[in-house]
Amino acid sequence: MRHYEIVFLVHPDQSSQVPAMIERYKTTITAAGGMIHRLEDWGRRHLAYPINKVHKAHYVLMNIECDRTTLQELESGFRFNDAVLRSLTLVRKRAITNSSLILTSVNDEKALVKAKETAKNELDLEVNVDELATETAVVTTE
Amino acid sequence: MAHKKSPFAHIQADEAEIVDYKNLALLTEYITETGKIVPSRITGIPAKYQRQLSGAIKHARFLALIPYCDAHR
Repeated sequence: MRHYEIVFLVHPDQSSQVPAMIERYKTTITAAGGMIHRLEDWGRRHLAYPINKVHKAHYVLMNIECDRTTLQELESGFRFNDAVLRSLTLVRKRAITNSSLILTSVNDEKALVKAKETAKNELDLEVNVDELATETAVVTTE
Repeated sequence: MAHKKSPFAHIQADEAEIVDYKNLALLTEYITETGKIVPSRITGIPAKYQRQLSGAIKHARFLALIPYCDAHR
């Protein structure tokens, strides 16, 4: 059993299949007595350069512990799956479980967008309240 | 490019975590605007970390996290 770090890129049109794919890989790994130490879904990211005329891809990162045959099975799975644009497998010395820098940056961006949205909504509400206030003011003067 | 003070001097304790193909903020500091790896002769970082960096940059390029060059369509 060795520790591996796998990243694979899924075609953006097949993005909806990603949860099913992850589930399938999970079962193949656990069925062979392996372990999944870290599983990250980075979501759809813009590529630094187009691959097969595709500009975006869905990234998934897995840190697993498994034997050689399981790894070979996974890698051949990537090779013959048309939805997988590219995959990278690295050997690691130990199990890595803390969340990666890319995932944290993705989450930060999401949080920022959310914060902006809520701020905007609050502003809208305030404007509405102001409008209401002026309307009532008009009514009272009449 | 002028000599840059290495961030590695302060953070050698968990170097394995820092030089990583996922640490895009670090990697982009060691590539030029055209995407080339900057020689350690310019940046002044130790050879050990230059080797780790070049490997990490190449992995990041393969995964399209950073560009190979500025001429990609």
